[in-house]
Amino acid sequence: MFEFDLFELTRDTVTMAVGFTAVLASLGVILCSAPVYCALYLISNMICLALLFLLYNAEFIAAVQIIVYAGAVMILFLFIIALLGGKKEVQESSAQRSMAFTFVITMLGELFLAATVGPTKPIEGGFDPQTVAQVGGSAKAIGLELFSRHLVPFELASGLLLVAAVGIICLAKFSYAPVRRRTR
Amino acid sequence: MGHQFVLLISATIFCIGAAGFIIRKNPLIMFMSVELMLNSVNFLLVGYSSFLKSMDGQIFALMIMTVAAAEVVVGLAIILTIFRTRHDIDVDHINVLKG
Repeated sequence: MFEFDLFELTRDTVTMAVGFTAVLASLGVILCSAPVYCALYLISNMICLALLFLLYNAEFIAAVQIIVYAGAVMILFLFIIALLGGKKEVQESSAQRSMAFTFVITMLGELFLAATVGPTKPIEGGFDPQTVAQVGGSAKAIGLELFSRHLVPFELASGLLLVAAVGIICLAKFSYAPVRRRTR
Repeated sequence: MGHQFVLLISATIFCIGAAGFIIRKNPLIMFMSVELMLNSVNFLLVGYSSFLKSMDGQIFALMIMTVAAAEVVVGLAIILTIFRTRHDIDVDHINVLKG
């Protein structure tokens, strides 16, 4: 019998469209000459990925992606571009460049081969969408897992952020005056 | 969509990021390429966490975001320091460690 589910079909189409948009935006990041356009393409890539996260039932990660990446990190990038002056970069083709492309295309082919090798044995966990809804949403499910089984990595991550914050204060403060060459 | 779609999109974005890291000379855009690679891995983790009905993938994605945020902040501070001392951020010209 010919049978189709309109909801599934729409969902698949949207997923595919958003996925290809993400790929196109990432191409824009590496091919644009002006850094500001690269940053804008990167923001659109991140928004596409956030939409994909939503389509794969990860609402909390999608929100974090928008806030942390498309918000904080990209604002930082744009400020640095504004500070350093977004000079256009001349892109000429050279032997190095074609070597790089060969390397990357080989890697892509290998990854495709590895991806299409066939089904591996899945290890099923216990978090189907019903369970997540029962717990009270994606954020709550992540919180339960994070603060029970993954508590130590979580605390280590906070330590990492603290070290990064102290590190950039040191970098920004102590290297403020340009280094003078020693005479004599 | 199935596993193949997630794998293919993720692998493509990862390779584009790797290409960008190699071919560009502006360190800011090299950092953006690193972000692309990290994001593609995040997508893979989230997709598989949905397929395998486990929250571990999403938690790993969260950890990757933390590490990426720290990495970007430190990297941009280093780029800024280099720019202050040299007034030039082309990676081909940065070949001396001394300030």
